[in-house]
Amino acid sequence: MRQLFLPYIIASFLNWAVSAHAQSQCIADAQDWSETALKRSLSAPLGLPPVLHPYDNSPSVAKIELGRKLFFDRRLSINRTMSCAMCHVPEQGFTNWELSTAIGVEGRSLKRNSPSILNVGHLNVLFHDGRDHALETQFIGPLTARNEMANPSAGYVVTLLNKLPEYALMFEDAFEAQASLDRIGMALGAYQRSVLAGNSPFDQWHFGGDEAAVSADVKRGFQIFTGKGNCSACHLIGDDHALFTDERFHDTGYAQLRDIERQNPPTSIPVQVAPGVVHEMAFSKIHSVSAKREADLGRYEVTEDPADRWRFRTPSLRNLTVTPPYMHDGHFSTLSEVIEFYNQGGSQISSQDPRIRPLGLTGVEMRDLEAFLQSLTSPDLGCLISEARVSPPDNH
Amino acid sequence: MNRREFGALVVAAAAAAGPFRAFADETCQSPYMPKITGQEEFVYVWTLGVEGMGDEQDKLVTIDLRPDSPMRGQVINSLSVGGRNEAHHGGFSADRRYFWTGGLDTNRIFIFDVHTDPSKPSLHKTIESFVKDSGGVVGPHTFFALPGSMMITGLSNDDDHGGRTALVEYNDAGDYVATYWMPTTSDMQGAVAVGDAVADGYGYDIRALIRKNIMLTSSFTGWSNYMMDFGQMLQDTDAMKRFGNTIVQWDLHTRQPRKVFNVPGAPLEIRFPWGPNANYAFSTTALTSKLWLIYEDDSGEWQAKDVADIGNPADIPLPVDISIAADDQTLWVNSFMDGKTRLFDISDPHNPSQIYEKTIDRQVNMVSQSWDGKRVYFSSSLLANWDKKGDDDVQYLRAYTWDGKELIEDFDIDFYKLGLGRAHIMRFGSSELYTS
Repeated sequence: MRQLFLPYIIASFLNWAVSAHAQSQCIADAQDWSETALKRSLSAPLGLPPVLHPYDNSPSVAKIELGRKLFFDRRLSINRTMSCAMCHVPEQGFTNWELSTAIGVEGRSLKRNSPSILNVGHLNVLFHDGRDHALETQFIGPLTARNEMANPSAGYVVTLLNKLPEYALMFEDAFEAQASLDRIGMALGAYQRSVLAGNSPFDQWHFGGDEAAVSADVKRGFQIFTGKGNCSACHLIGDDHALFTDERFHDTGYAQLRDIERQNPPTSIPVQVAPGVVHEMAFSKIHSVSAKREADLGRYEVTEDPADRWRFRTPSLRNLTVTPPYMHDGHFSTLSEVIEFYNQGGSQISSQDPRIRPLGLTGVEMRDLEAFLQSLTSPDLGCLISEARVSPPDNH
Repeated sequence: MNRREFGALVVAAAAAAGPFRAFADETCQSPYMPKITGQEEFVYVWTLGVEGMGDEQDKLVTIDLRPDSPMRGQVINSLSVGGRNEAHHGGFSADRRYFWTGGLDTNRIFIFDVHTDPSKPSLHKTIESFVKDSGGVVGPHTFFALPGSMMITGLSNDDDHGGRTALVEYNDAGDYVATYWMPTTSDMQGAVAVGDAVADGYGYDIRALIRKNIMLTSSFTGWSNYMMDFGQMLQDTDAMKRFGNTIVQWDLHTRQPRKVFNVPGAPLEIRFPWGPNANYAFSTTALTSKLWLIYEDDSGEWQAKDVADIGNPADIPLPVDISIAADDQTLWVNSFMDGKTRLFDISDPHNPSQIYEKTIDRQVNMVSQSWDGKRVYFSSSLLANWDKKGDDDVQYLRAYTWDGKELIEDFDIDFYKLGLGRAHIMRFGSSELYTS
């Protein structure tokens, strides 16, 4: 714990510095930011394929502006404390790097780490367990989930929006109609499909042909990624673009390992009480202030097919440096922990995917692999942050 | 101020006020507030509603403390405000006619009228616009009365529910006045970081020493942490990195931050003594279990240093509320995890020592004492999702008498048995305050 803390702080600071630097270079214009966002969603940033907009939800400036407003509006939760953006924080890679697993209304616990919405418009299966397939419908779950935004019903939110005068004009502009459940989804979908972040140093090198865009260790790391490490078997790289996901569900052994740990807690765990100060705390004390934690069976919770137990969707690897902590429950704070887990062959539980096996990477190879992963960070994040913060969130 | 000087002060105050004047007060209030120094008549308990219990709402509970009342030691009024707002702290206005309380979750501020009928407070006004007024501050925590206004510390913000926050000032009518953001490394606002202090921008408590034009603020954590299940947070290595490690010295009158002190491990309550020459304050760090002294040195500069351990810091007893005696000689320190209260001799503020301890129950949070220190009250709830679970989740207000050697239980009110909820901050009331 003590050893991990300093590198994490440094990494967090670097992440913050990258974001702050990028933001300072890209100030969204309050008048035409949505034009820029629309153009982006209709284009294909280097390394990304074109976004496939639904045939019945072509993007527009008005939809993107409305979607952004909805995304940040804390009034759209039962007690007006939560918006989409409270778990998908722009400055934190549109996820939340301060928490392993998300916290919803009244502090209720979720089992999983908030996924980033960066490039979410390219995904065909959403959530860690793939429970939804379209941004137009995805939002209904969080909107009404008791441990997220906890609205009594989706219709309640529609009624609320139709009572808020500032929304009437925006829905009229976007749809020539008042708010409805499907129109809320279309607006949110249009906004999120504009949150694209490609053009990373890796893209500039691999797809753009700029040999100077990345260092030698990144190139070596790429060879490990696609060779000895076999990471690209699931984190796919195409001929002219790369989403770094096969969008399929795999049992890496990680989920089962975490559940074994949940059911067999240690007698004590290290707890950081101040920078550089760690005490070993008896788990009995932690138990005395802990609500019961549920198992997370992954894809099984959607399909109820025993074969899907412990399976989770392959995440994209783009912009990893700004989306810690890692894994579906955010248990790993650093990329090196993730690499170490896979290098040792996952949990080595017999049921895990056979592609997860001891890799035998050397220390240098693991550092090269990490350098490669760090090269997947877009330089355009500052623009997305600035657009997201173009006006303050709505509060009561 | 030593005990003899304090005794003389009390006698003089009694003589000046006349025989029918009540003389009592909790000792940690704003110095701008009228002081009562005898028998407190009521204690108001800002109480968190619990799902599935009673009306499930947050409420202000009034308990009768009048010695000659047949209802003494019983709940005589309960005023529900709607919703579960994470009821937490509150403070009287400078004229002590209104009791301001906050909801750390919903950011609502409830202003109760406690002067029209002190035995039955009424809801005077609800401020629904704290976040919008303040420009994004979340979690109204301490309510510290200034002349004509109320200074409110925030705990979080509406950008990310993290710990960066501000002070927010309203006038006594409940209208927004100004926001003063805590200094951060990227915006020190003219403040100077002392030693290796890192300005984190976090907030928690506020207290002032008027004659020195000093205001101090402490630092806790943001919404995501204080709303989270405590056990889950202790196991979340990323969340545990998000606690404040600073106390900030401000210019009281200009509201400008001057110094940022390194006080690692979430410094919470701040208490100034009452003595005319006592130029120091105490605070305790929740996570590192230290008693801290913030003091003026011989050259007139303010400094901070830890002066004592509270229990065994390695056990993480989690010190929470503290209460300083009116004579500045002793300090009660509660610790949540072991349910203990400890009394420190602070007659030498640079060398405090523990002189007494008692287990109140399986968990304890707030402590309030009468002005003469003879009556000490304890309540149980820390935060809704930080309180202990199962049988250890006892919720109470418990009254004791202190004879100088031992706490002797007077009465106990079981807040769960009465279907009230989780008992948090206690503040005293008296009808004698409002008689001419």
